[in-house]
Amino acid sequence: MRYALSDPSHSSGAQAAAVKPYDEMMDPTGEVRPHYAALARRVASLADEDLAERQRLLERFFLLQGITFTVYGAESSTERIIPTDLLPRIIPATEWATIEAGLTQRLKALNMFLADIYSDQKILMDGVVPRELVLGAPSYRREMQNLFVPHQAYANVCGSDLIRKPDGGFAVLEDNLRVPSGVSYMLANREAAKRTFPGSFRMAGVRRIEEYPDLLLSTLRSMAADWRPNPQVVVLTPGVYNSAYFEHAYLARLMGVPLVEGRDLVTHDNMVYMRTTTGLRRVDVIYRRVDDDFVDPLTFRRDSSLGVAGLFNAYRAGNVVICNAPGTGVADDKAVYAYVPEIISYYLGQDAILPNIETYLCREPSQLSHVLANLDSLVVKAVGASGGYGMLVGPHATQAEREAFAEALRANPENYIAQPTIQLSTAPCLIDGAIDPRHVDLRPFILSADKIRVTPGALTRVALRKGSLVVNSSQGGGSKDTWVLGEGDGQEPRP
Amino acid sequence: MMLARVADSLYWIGRYVERAEHMCRLADVLLNATLDRTESSGQVADMVISAITDGQHDAPLSPWDAALAITMDSENGDSVTAALARARENARQVRDQLTTETWERLNLIYLRVTGEAAARDFSDAPSQFLHDIIADLHLFKGAADATMSHGEGWGFLQLGVFIERAQLIGKLLQAGFGRSLGRPVTEHAAMTALLRMSCALEPYLRKHTADIQPSLIRQFLMFDEDFPRSLRFSTARIEEHLSSVGRNVDLGGGAGPERLAGRLKARLLYADPEALGGEESDNLVATVLEECARLHAGIYDTFVAYSLEMRLPA
Repeated sequence: MRYALSDPSHSSGAQAAAVKPYDEMMDPTGEVRPHYAALARRVASLADEDLAERQRLLERFFLLQGITFTVYGAESSTERIIPTDLLPRIIPATEWATIEAGLTQRLKALNMFLADIYSDQKILMDGVVPRELVLGAPSYRREMQNLFVPHQAYANVCGSDLIRKPDGGFAVLEDNLRVPSGVSYMLANREAAKRTFPGSFRMAGVRRIEEYPDLLLSTLRSMAADWRPNPQVVVLTPGVYNSAYFEHAYLARLMGVPLVEGRDLVTHDNMVYMRTTTGLRRVDVIYRRVDDDFVDPLTFRRDSSLGVAGLFNAYRAGNVVICNAPGTGVADDKAVYAYVPEIISYYLGQDAILPNIETYLCREPSQLSHVLANLDSLVVKAVGASGGYGMLVGPHATQAEREAFAEALRANPENYIAQPTIQLSTAPCLIDGAIDPRHVDLRPFILSADKIRVTPGALTRVALRKGSLVVNSSQGGGSKDTWVLGEGDGQEPRP
Repeated sequence: MMLARVADSLYWIGRYVERAEHMCRLADVLLNATLDRTESSGQVADMVISAITDGQHDAPLSPWDAALAITMDSENGDSVTAALARARENARQVRDQLTTETWERLNLIYLRVTGEAAARDFSDAPSQFLHDIIADLHLFKGAADATMSHGEGWGFLQLGVFIERAQLIGKLLQAGFGRSLGRPVTEHAAMTALLRMSCALEPYLRKHTADIQPSLIRQFLMFDEDFPRSLRFSTARIEEHLSSVGRNVDLGGGAGPERLAGRLKARLLYADPEALGGEESDNLVATVLEECARLHAGIYDTFVAYSLEMRLPA
């Protein structure tokens, strides 16, 4: 198998494409980077059929495990697996050290920010972040004001989206502090990679991620440990039709805790109970995979049937812990994002280790006019939307699409932010039997309670369409395993 | 300790996999009967069709159409495909409670019977297709037995299996011997077909040799102590699993489904098979079917849909 090192940023003809993306495996002179050397040799030694066979093995593994989503047709429904790429993405130890330090710093500051805005609001008083930006955000929850949160850990589970810029440095594209998903794919990809590339895996000295469920459980338990000696933890899922259901069941199974739906829980005297075969049983910590809006119909959306009536009052009374806390979304709001470097220096007195992407807030008239003048080179995002919806990728859009977006921008500027089109780094992928680079991002997972832990691994999301920069699974994205190497490993294969 | 909803789903998985396995045997026997054109093949077809329709069929189906419907009809909850789809849907809802080994077996069967090739595989070699499903279901049950904890969840799974089994064998006995549904089977071919549908041919032969008689078949299917599909065996397991899952339930002094299960077990355990006439046997089978229906409702009311006032923590 030979590498076709083509430039994936072929089309568009925009200025942005003039910058060559960073390739994870090849340096600019076309040499394989040292940490990829062993894998590259292994792949080169395999015939096309061997690679195809391994890809089939991988897909069968996912199908058997039920890591699928259902495509509903008129007559019947079929099961599809989430597209998964065979070739792992490799990150050397030194680069990971920076990522780890940067993510720890960032989540620490964001938790302090949340604790502040839901109590004294010093940062707003000091004018570091505009008051109306925070208090006016749809994800700000007035109900959380002055509520005690153990360890001030509002976001217990965080999945940040990092990208690697053409100069090789990592930057944060987005923080996900609400109900980040994807960790099960990180773990399943790893299980599969161990079967498909056992030799290379062993030689590379990849750091373990398998403890994640144990660490998640101890994180959740520590949220109630001070007042309940042996806290009962549950995972709350919206149900089997949710696209992340596999993940909910997976985590519950690996943590050994019940997977509950809203209808399994009842509240009585501000306590939360689950219905078991032998009667009601007290619940202490709820790892909820249901959005804020749907957690409690009495407090938030009335039409929700996914949540538990009275849950928020039990939470307010201190009889149950909801993880992540309601209202954390305000810290990953796309407009608040622009202020994260200031937030870090305000609370920690440090410079951000991982930089932001330059962001224009369309609410500021001067920045709006800049955005309107440069629509063909910018990515414009709606503040409230996620999953790759409601966004315009300027260089790839038609003139008509840009004009329609400009209209929406002028009508409702505070609803939008804009960022330069970043050439995400590329990594080799197996596409239709040939190896071809595709754009990737990186989603590591960070746990926080009494302390902050970054799992040494990540979900690498892949934009499987050639040239595409959109990695969301709802928009034709896939994923691949991510190998974080230990110190001194992976440079040269051992004999 | 187990979520009520989860116990309910495990119970239904047990019912559906048992149903799927049974329907495979019915379809297979039906297809076999079409191979020879004797009078007895008509009797077999009648018996099977009345077993699955409770004798309520208006337009008589051809044996092939009936076999196809039993296997593939996605509308009919009793067909093999539909039962497997429902078992798997329940399994997905309690995925965290099943071991990976158990889940994989069930998922694999489901993917095969709902796959694009399924209809073609069935029409090419129906017996093989059905045989493979039965074999895979045995793997599923074996994997569950070997890898799941034999605790509360296991108890609910087994309750589903044995209640379903007692009802299916009961219906088969009615179809074969019941006076209400036309004449009882007398032809040799029909009698062996009945034994095959109950998966009882070889155990029966070992016990009674090739002396195949209606009264012995009936006794065997109702009262044999060791044959795992007899009514006596099934009701004994129902009682056993129910008393183990019910151990921790405080019913506040009231009687739960355990009393029903104990009584049902005793009816079969202490019956005198030799002295039982045709009509009395019919009545006993009818009683088993009724009591199983009451047990089914009783389990739901006691373990799943109990009223909260009764069970608030002190």
